[in-house]
Amino acid sequence: MQAERDISYADVNRDVVRSLVETGSKYYITLAISVSVMLACFFAPWFYQLQYGIGAAGMNHPTVWGTYLASFIFWIGLSHSGTLLSCVLHITNSSWRKAMYRSAEAMTLFSLMVAVTMVMVHLGRPWFIHWAVPYPNQMELWPNFRSPLMFDVMAITTYLTGSTIFIYMGTIPDFAAVRDRTTGWRHHMYVLLSLGWRGTDTEWHRLGWAYTFLAVLIIPLAVSVHSIVSWDFALSIVPALHQTIFAPYFVVGAIYSGTAGIVTVMFVLRKYMNFEHYITKLHFDNLGKLLLVLSLIWTYINVLEIFTGWYSGTSTEYEAIRYKLFGYYAPLYWEMILFCAVAPLLMISKRFRTSFVPMLILSIAINIGMYTERFLIVATSLSRQYLPDAWGIYVPSLVEISIMVGSLAMFVTLFLIFVKIFPSISIYEIKETLPEPEPKTQSESGAPEWQPTL
Amino acid sequence: MSFINDFLASWREYRRPGYYEKFDYAWTMSIDLDRCTGCEACVTACQAENNLPIVGEDEFAKGREMQWIRIERYWEGEYPNVKLGFIPMLCQHCDAAPCETVCPVSATYHNQDGLNAQIYNRCIGTRSCAVYCPYEVRYFNYNNHHWDAPLDEQLNPDVSVREKGVMEKCTFCIQRIRQAKDQAKDDGRRRVRDGEVQPACVQTCPAEALVFGDRNDAESQVAQSMNHPRAYHVLEELNTDPSVVYLKKVGSNAG
Amino acid sequence: MATNTVGLFDAPATALAAAGELKGAGFDATSIISPIPLHGAEKVLGEKKSAIKRFTFFGGLFGMLFGFSLAAGTAVLYLHPTGGRPIITIPPFLIITYEMTILCGILATVIGFLVSARFPAMRERVYVPEAAVDKFVVSVLCSDDAHDRRAEEILRSAGAEEIRRLREED
Repeated sequence: MQAERDISYADVNRDVVRSLVETGSKYYITLAISVSVMLACFFAPWFYQLQYGIGAAGMNHPTVWGTYLASFIFWIGLSHSGTLLSCVLHITNSSWRKAMYRSAEAMTLFSLMVAVTMVMVHLGRPWFIHWAVPYPNQMELWPNFRSPLMFDVMAITTYLTGSTIFIYMGTIPDFAAVRDRTTGWRHHMYVLLSLGWRGTDTEWHRLGWAYTFLAVLIIPLAVSVHSIVSWDFALSIVPALHQTIFAPYFVVGAIYSGTAGIVTVMFVLRKYMNFEHYITKLHFDNLGKLLLVLSLIWTYINVLEIFTGWYSGTSTEYEAIRYKLFGYYAPLYWEMILFCAVAPLLMISKRFRTSFVPMLILSIAINIGMYTERFLIVATSLSRQYLPDAWGIYVPSLVEISIMVGSLAMFVTLFLIFVKIFPSISIYEIKETLPEPEPKTQSESGAPEWQPTL
Repeated sequence: MSFINDFLASWREYRRPGYYEKFDYAWTMSIDLDRCTGCEACVTACQAENNLPIVGEDEFAKGREMQWIRIERYWEGEYPNVKLGFIPMLCQHCDAAPCETVCPVSATYHNQDGLNAQIYNRCIGTRSCAVYCPYEVRYFNYNNHHWDAPLDEQLNPDVSVREKGVMEKCTFCIQRIRQAKDQAKDDGRRRVRDGEVQPACVQTCPAEALVFGDRNDAESQVAQSMNHPRAYHVLEELNTDPSVVYLKKVGSNAG
Repeated sequence: MATNTVGLFDAPATALAAAGELKGAGFDATSIISPIPLHGAEKVLGEKKSAIKRFTFFGGLFGMLFGFSLAAGTAVLYLHPTGGRPIITIPPFLIITYEMTILCGILATVIGFLVSARFPAMRERVYVPEAAVDKFVVSVLCSDDAHDRRAEEILRSAGAEEIRRLREED
C-alpha cells in the first residue's frame, strides 16, 4: 500500500519529534495572528455583550436563538467526525485511518471546547451556567433533568470526557517515544504524560483491550450526542423543528461536516508540518469517498424534509417549507444546496478526489454550506411559527459575526498549540503500516542501515 | 411493609401527569373577541402594573418589544371592505406547557394555582422556553433598562424589576392574586371570591372583554364562559391545555 | 541478584523466535518490548487475560444505577411539576441513564487499564530506549549468573544484535 515510500521506523520517530521540537517563524507568526484574532474578535465583543446584554446580538422576539446556537451546533457537529470516525475505523480494522486519526481526534476535542464557549456566549446570564450542572448546593436545587438542554449537558460532558480519554490513551506510547528524544521542559512533560510506558507485550495487550472497549463505548455515545443536540430543536413544537428526522439528520450532517473538517486539517498538516509521506493521496481518496456517500445521504434527508412538508398540506408545515425555499432566507438555502449537495458530486471523479487543493476548497465549501444549514434551521424556523402576528426576521449583528470568526480563531489557536505538544501523527500506528523490518544477515552486521539517530 | 407501601404510594403520586390532582385555585381568563376593540388599554395597564420597561423606538424597530399582553391584529381585504380581528395574546398558563419542560435550571414551573410561574432569579437566559412556546408570549430582556425620572417613581413595589438576560412573561398579576389570597385568609380563612382579584388588564379593559376568575368555582363568570357556545382555545390542536378561553367573534365585521 | 538480560533484535520475527526459545528453555519471566504491538506475542508467550472487561462492565452498571437515581432522586427531592408531565418521567431519565452508563463505563475502563498495566510507573523499570524507535527487545529476568549466561546464549544464537544487562530497581 505504501510501497512507494522508503521510510524506516527511525524516520517516523525523527519526523514526528522534529515536528514537535522545531518551530520556525511561520509557526509563531500564525500563532500570534490566531491569538490576536481570537482576543479581538471573540473575547472583546463577548466582553461588550456581557456588559450590554444579549441585545448586542441581532436576536429579537420571536427569533430568540441566533448564530450563537447555530455555531454551537456547528462546532459540536465538527467534533463528531474525529472521534466517531476514528472509533468506527478502528473497529473495522482499517489501515488508512492511522495517519490521520490523532489530529482528527484533536479536532474533536477542540471543537467541543469551542462549542462549550459558544453556549456561554449564548446565555443571557452566563455567570450562572454552573446551575445547569448537578452539584449539591445550599439552595438544595438541582437542574431539571426532564429538559432536553440537560440531556445536552450530560451528553456533551460525557463526550468531552470520553474524547479526552480516548485521545490520551492512544497517545501514551507516542509520548514514551518522544520522551526519549526530547530535553528540558518537554522531556519532563512527556515523562509525566507517558506514565512510564515501556512497550512490553503486557502493556500493549492491556492498551489494545482498553482502546477497543473505549472505541466500542464511544461509537453509540457519539451517535447519541448529536441526536440529543438535535432534540433541543425537535422536542419543541415549532413547526419546522418538530420532526422525527432531526436526529438522523443532525448525526449525518455532523459526520459530514466533520469529515470535511478532517480533509481541511489534513491538507494543512501535510503542507505545514512536512508530513507528505504520511498523509497521501490514498487518504484523500478514501475521505473523498466517505464525503461523497455522506453528501448523498444528506441530500436524501433534505429531499425527505421537503417532500413530507409539501405532501402534508397542513398550513404550518407547508409554510415552513415554502419559507425555507422561497422566503427571505432563500439565497442562503440555495447556497447551502449548491455547496453541500451539488458541489460534492465532483468527488465522483477519482482525479478530483486525489488532488489536494481542489479537495481543500471543496471541504471548506462544504463546511460553509453546513454552517448555513445550521443557521437556517435556527432562523427560518423561529421566524415563522404558528401565529402570523408574531412572525419576524433575524439578521446577525456585527458582534455575532465577529464572535463567529473569533471562535474559528480559537479553534485554530488550540490546534496550533496541540501540534507542538502532542505528536500529531501516531508514531506506532504508522509503523504498523510500514513493511515489517527484515532480520539482517550476519555479514551486514558491521554497518547497520538504520541506526537510530539522536 | 409500610416502607414498601409508602414507596408505592409515592411512586403512583410521582407518576401522575401534572402531579396535582386538582388545583387549589384554577385561575382562568376569558376574552370576548366580540367586545375587544383593539384599544390596547390592557397593554398599557400591564406595562404600568408590572414594571415593564420602555424599550425605546430603536429597540422596538429591531423587534425587541416588551409586551406581556399584545393585541394581534388580523385583517382581510382592502379598505373599505376590511374585516378586522383583534386577539389579545398573553401567556396562556397552559396546564401542559411546553415551555416548562425545557428550562434546564427549573426557572419555570406550574404552581398549585394552575399558573405558569417564572422565577426571575433562577433564569440563566437560555431562551429555550421562548422557542418552545407556540403562542410566543415569552419576552426576553435584551439589555438593562432604565426609567427616566420621574417614571422611576411609578414602579410597582410589589413587582421585581428584571435585569438583562432574564426571561419574563405575563403572570396573571400574581402579586394581586397573592394579595387577594392574603386578604381572604386575614378575613377568616375564606376563599377568594369571584371578581375580588383582577389583573391589571382585566381591570382596565373599557369594553369588559377580559374576565378573570377561578374555574374551580362553578359559579364564577369564567366557569360559565368555558361552556359558552363561542368558547375555544387558541392552537387547541397542540394540546397545551391553556387557561385562557377565547369567545369567538361573531359581530358584523367578523372574519 | 536478579538481573534482566535483554537482547536487541532488528526484526519482530527473530525477536519472537528468541522469546519462544527462552520460554521453551524454562525462562518464564520473558517479555518483549517493542515499538508496535506484536500480534505473534500471545502465541509465543502465552495467552493473556485482562481484567479490563470486568471494570468496564461494573463501571457501566454503576453508571446506569447512578444515572437513574440522579435524575429521579433529584426530581423527587424538590418537587416542581413541569408541563403536565409526571415528576418521574421515564424516557428523559433513560437518556440521562444512558449517558451516565457510558461515562462511568469509560472511566472504569481507564481505571481498569491503569490498574492492570500497573500505571503510572512509580519506580524505574527495565527499559531500552531503542525499543521505542525500531528495535525489538526480548527481556528475561534471571535469578543468578548461570541462568544469565544460558539466556545470553539463547539470545545470541537467535540473532540478537546486542545484549545488555539491566537491573530493575527495588
